[in-house]
Amino acid sequence: MREVPRWKRASGWIDLRGRREGGLAFLLMRLTGIGLVIYLFLHLYVLRLLAQGPEAWDAFIAMAKSPLFLALDGLLILGILYHALNGVRVTLLGLGIGVPHQARLFWGVMALTLLMTAIAAYAIFTIAG
Amino acid sequence: MPTWQLRLLRGRPGSSPRLETYRVELPAEAYLIDAVEKIWAEQDRSLLFRHACHHASCGACGVRVNGRERLMCITPLREFSPDGVIQVEPLRHFPWLGDLLVDVSPMMRRMAEVGFAIIRRDELTADRPLPEGIEQITRFEDCIECGLCLSACPVMAADEAYLGPATLAAIERMLAEPRGGDTARLLTLADDPHGAWRCHSAMECTAVCPSNVDPASAIGRLRRRLIVEKLRRWIGGGR
Amino acid sequence: MWIWQAFTGLLLLILLTLHMVFNHFVVEGGLRTYRDVVAYLSHPVVFTWEILFLVVVTAHALMGVRAILLDLGIGPGTDRWLKRGLTLVGLGIIGYGVWLSWWIRSRGA
Ligand code: HEM
Ligand code: HEM
Ligand code: SF4
Ligand code: FES
Repeated sequence: MREVPRWKRASGWIDLRGRREGGLAFLLMRLTGIGLVIYLFLHLYVLRLLAQGPEAWDAFIAMAKSPLFLALDGLLILGILYHALNGVRVTLLGLGIGVPHQARLFWGVMALTLLMTAIAAYAIFTIAG
Repeated sequence: MPTWQLRLLRGRPGSSPRLETYRVELPAEAYLIDAVEKIWAEQDRSLLFRHACHHASCGACGVRVNGRERLMCITPLREFSPDGVIQVEPLRHFPWLGDLLVDVSPMMRRMAEVGFAIIRRDELTADRPLPEGIEQITRFEDCIECGLCLSACPVMAADEAYLGPATLAAIERMLAEPRGGDTARLLTLADDPHGAWRCHSAMECTAVCPSNVDPASAIGRLRRRLIVEKLRRWIGGGR
Repeated sequence: MWIWQAFTGLLLLILLTLHMVFNHFVVEGGLRTYRDVVAYLSHPVVFTWEILFLVVVTAHALMGVRAILLDLGIGPGTDRWLKRGLTLVGLGIIGYGVWLSWWIRSRGA
């Protein structure tokens, strides 16, 4: 019998060959989850500027209003929306609710995510830009 | 008669597997199992694969066809084009024995641990008179233990210890109809980090199951039951 | 563990939405200036709310990290250490967050 090496097993969840909506939803959930954790750490690290007084923070805010930062902000919102909306989907499915509709729910989550991100991006650029 | 091109994963444990292309002539009404059997019969007798019933009830012929888990005996050739290639590989997440053959005993052992009965007495016909010469009417369980769901599951990919969709569905099935069985033992089995809670709802098991078992919903019902059970114990002070 | 992931997730749905909305859209000019932040956190309800948010995200995020690391084929022994490690990290984050918010808040008084 051939032993599957550990690293290969460990990366099994990334392998999308032969998978459908559910597998893709799971993969994206994980990637956005990892992204959000990284963001959380960065965010809390940046917040230390608040402890350094008004100048440090307001300088940072000025920089955060640059188009590049606002675009990254949009990316963050995209990730949050997907993760949050799919989180609701997964919670229902995980309790056995709506399983026959899971693929349609996935496309619904995708559509809502894109729509809400577009609205949020518009709002960000008009308010902050 | 059209000629079909099949690309089969070949090899034995210990050497690295390779993909080899074969051509077979068969009518479009034939099934993938016929093509593989024909290759075995006419081209290479060393080809390893498994089958028995030819009608989706033994669960032996599970493979991956163009990446997707299927039973060879109910995969019609007319689904494919003779110009294209039909790639056939063994199921994932089982020990590989060579060619298209895997060792399904890890799954079978778990099913046995649950005490899953493949055949049950049929209650739908229980109060009807039996036909002459028939002693008892039995009914097959939906799950044919083909292992497609285990191969499709991304959690199974990562975690060998995961009970897996088929086993969790079997537990749920037993709980729904315990017939004097030990429900407490089954609940303990399911209530484990590698049990019902390990599922990440990728929904691939239900998508590939050829027998409408719907393991994903079963896992959900199992979780609901575990939650209710926990709350009851919590409120009832450990009864 | 899954049930807590889902439960904290649903709490986050509310907490995070409010966090994002307040930080982006309610304040004039988008992002908050230092003064805005201090004023915002001075309110006791807001303060409690933000701390609650901090605790819930940290818990959710670290449970999520464990769920992913479990898929690297971690055994029960390593998992025990992993849990302890992540709990320490979590307490560290919460401690830092509470200290920070408290400090900011004190600026407003
Ligand atoms: C906004 C509301 C949120 C909801 C409704 C939500 C919901 C969920 C749910 C239901 C899961 C379980 C998925 C599964 O079983 O595979 C999950 C996983 C996870 N979440 Fe969230 N979440 C939210 C926000 C966040 C935030 C802000 C972070 C990071 C700071 C985060 C990080 C993670 C991580 C790392 C996982 C693990 C992913 C995995 O196991 O594959 N989540 N979330
Ligand atoms: C780009 C959008 C965001 C902006 C502009 C923003 C801004 C801020 C600001 C100004 C604060 C300090 C004042 C307060 O408590 O409200 C804060 C705190 C906090 N943020 Fe965000 N935030 C954003 C997104 C996020 C996301 C996505 C998360 C979660 C992953 C998050 C997690 C937190 C936490 C936990 C605190 C509390 C820290 C503490 O109590 O010390 N934020 N944020
Ligand atoms: S649940 Fe379906 S896919 Fe899984 S072993 Fe049983 S019949 Fe096969
Ligand atoms: S040969 Fe029995 S299921 Fe295919």
